[in-house]
Amino acid sequence: MIKPKKTLKQRNIKDRFMVSLLVLSTVVVLVPLLIIIAYVIINGVSALNWEFFTEELGSPSRAMQGRPTGLIHTMIGTAVVDFLALIISIPVGLGAGIMLSEYPDHKLNPYLRIINDTLNGMPAILKGLLAFALIVKPMGTFSGLSGGFALAFVMIPIIARSTESALMSIPWTIREAGLAIGLPRWRVVMSTIVPAAKTGLVTGFLIAFARAAGEAAPLMFTSFGNNYFPRHWTGMIFGPVDTLPQRLYSLAISPYKEWHAMGWAAGIVLLFFVIAIFFTARLLTRKKVY
Amino acid sequence: MKINFIKTFSLILVTGMILLTAGCGEGREKDDSDDTKKERKSRVDLLGAGASFPAPLITAMADEYRDVTRNRVVVNYQSIGSGGGIRQFVEQTIMFGMTEAFLSDEIMADIESQTGGRAFNMPITLADVVATYNVPGVDKGIVFDADVLVDIYMERITNWNDPKIEKLNPDKDLPSLPITVVHRSDGSGTTNIWTSYFSRVSDEWKAKIGYGTSVNWPTGVGGNGNEGVAGAVMNTPGAIGYNSLTYALLNDMSFGYVKNSSGNIIEPSYAATTEAANIDLPEDTRVLFTNTPAEKGYPIAGFAWMLVYENLEQNNAINNRTEAKELVEFLIWSITDGQELSEELGFARLPEAAVERNYEMIKQVKWRGEEIGKELLKKKNIS
Repeated sequence: MIKPKKTLKQRNIKDRFMVSLLVLSTVVVLVPLLIIIAYVIINGVSALNWEFFTEELGSPSRAMQGRPTGLIHTMIGTAVVDFLALIISIPVGLGAGIMLSEYPDHKLNPYLRIINDTLNGMPAILKGLLAFALIVKPMGTFSGLSGGFALAFVMIPIIARSTESALMSIPWTIREAGLAIGLPRWRVVMSTIVPAAKTGLVTGFLIAFARAAGEAAPLMFTSFGNNYFPRHWTGMIFGPVDTLPQRLYSLAISPYKEWHAMGWAAGIVLLFFVIAIFFTARLLTRKKVY
Repeated sequence: MKINFIKTFSLILVTGMILLTAGCGEGREKDDSDDTKKERKSRVDLLGAGASFPAPLITAMADEYRDVTRNRVVVNYQSIGSGGGIRQFVEQTIMFGMTEAFLSDEIMADIESQTGGRAFNMPITLADVVATYNVPGVDKGIVFDADVLVDIYMERITNWNDPKIEKLNPDKDLPSLPITVVHRSDGSGTTNIWTSYFSRVSDEWKAKIGYGTSVNWPTGVGGNGNEGVAGAVMNTPGAIGYNSLTYALLNDMSFGYVKNSSGNIIEPSYAATTEAANIDLPEDTRVLFTNTPAEKGYPIAGFAWMLVYENLEQNNAINNRTEAKELVEFLIWSITDGQELSEELGFARLPEAAVERNYEMIKQVKWRGEEIGKELLKKKNIS
């Protein structure tokens, strides 16, 4: 009888060893994330109080003298600007992604792909400058709208890419089935491919959204910042508006201890904002209908 | 399947909408109780940006002014640095700028040719720059004079026990410790004041390096912003840097006294800074008074200016007469009642001479030819 080179036991040991390596690398990935979350929470929790969620920021002397100050206008502003960015970027990004995946032989596609990749690699601050030149200058004022556009420039290439790969993952046979029953090509895409790729699409949107939600650079010269709510609600869109990442930055570089703590607290809020988005995304896309 | 997909989006859409209306609704409801309808119509947001040094004062003024106007006028001031303030003012994206370095002749000429009117530099408060240091065992109050500071920044004095420093500080026990020079790496009004002092007191510095919001430093390490310089100074034994007085006080940094041009040793203080500005001012107040001739004045100080167009309608950021009028009213308030906030916040009060000059400039401010500055001053019984 030939003795096998490796016994079952040996194989099992080797298998466990490889698995433990995988576990280890997962831990290595997760640990920094947990450290960041823990660090932000430890530093910021002292500044988290009721007023933080109900008051406007005002001047630094408010914080130093212990008068009520908070970031409610910043949180609402973030929601408005990010929401604007989302409704601007989804139609464009989705369109570009569909074009890349469903019409692969269109002669514009190579250029579209190059432009998209360039846009994706471009530093975010340049996208802010672009929005500054295109919207802020002609309008004569900084605005939430321009901030939304700047963030949309961040999101569009990511959405286009993720849409493309989500649609590509749908087998060609489904398209052929649709065409076989006489549907026009656009109808095949809209009624079968896009719904089938729903999970991937929404995940892509949210990854892009989370990425944009953390960007401060493109907002510096677009949404600009505001220490208060605007006097009229349209000011959120057509006037300067505060956003969490940018306010976090300006709080962090300020010379006041109280503002540093508020900066950390803003970090907590931003973190949970992004986590909440991902969580919602998971809930929305969990149920597979097909 | 398709319906689900649409649902997903409408949910995001609706969530966004709710957040939007919630945010706006809140602001509106709060005001409904004490605002009349007429007042709500005339509510105005004013937007200014620029120098970080006067930001605590301007934003505190904004808080106060909002109360004074019963929530009607809100001044949003963002601190983006003097350079940014000038830039955005020229780009006409803000209603007023703030800077610690007055507009250059070129920019003034450009603005005049573009808008058919001048740009005014109106002093709002005073900026003072102190030499901050980290010398173990020595608290605040090392005495410097102009030569010593220039020599340190030109790398001619490299140790804290240099005879030149010891001569000025006979009662201090200075260690033998190499000096690390720290300066700002970003464009800054603080640098402008600091280097203009050096240029005034040293011909060599003037010829070789000159002054400006950023210069070609002969030596030293750079720090970004007041906080960058402060961080480098506090973490490096033997370091010397420069910060605004308020910043040094807020962060418990040691800072030096300076011998002024009259030979008096001056401890940096708000009174000494106001004193320094007590000089003959030119009409447009574009003047540096570093190395002030005032006897009791602290020699490293300057104005922080508010930038305003003469013809307000030419500024793209100002949309209507109401905004222009409210801007001028805030300006008048900030140099009169608003000054009351100064000392409490660590700022030097504007000297009377500067306020007078401001009145002269405000009188010339117009909206479509209408002299709104003059009218508003008259309404406040200032002429």
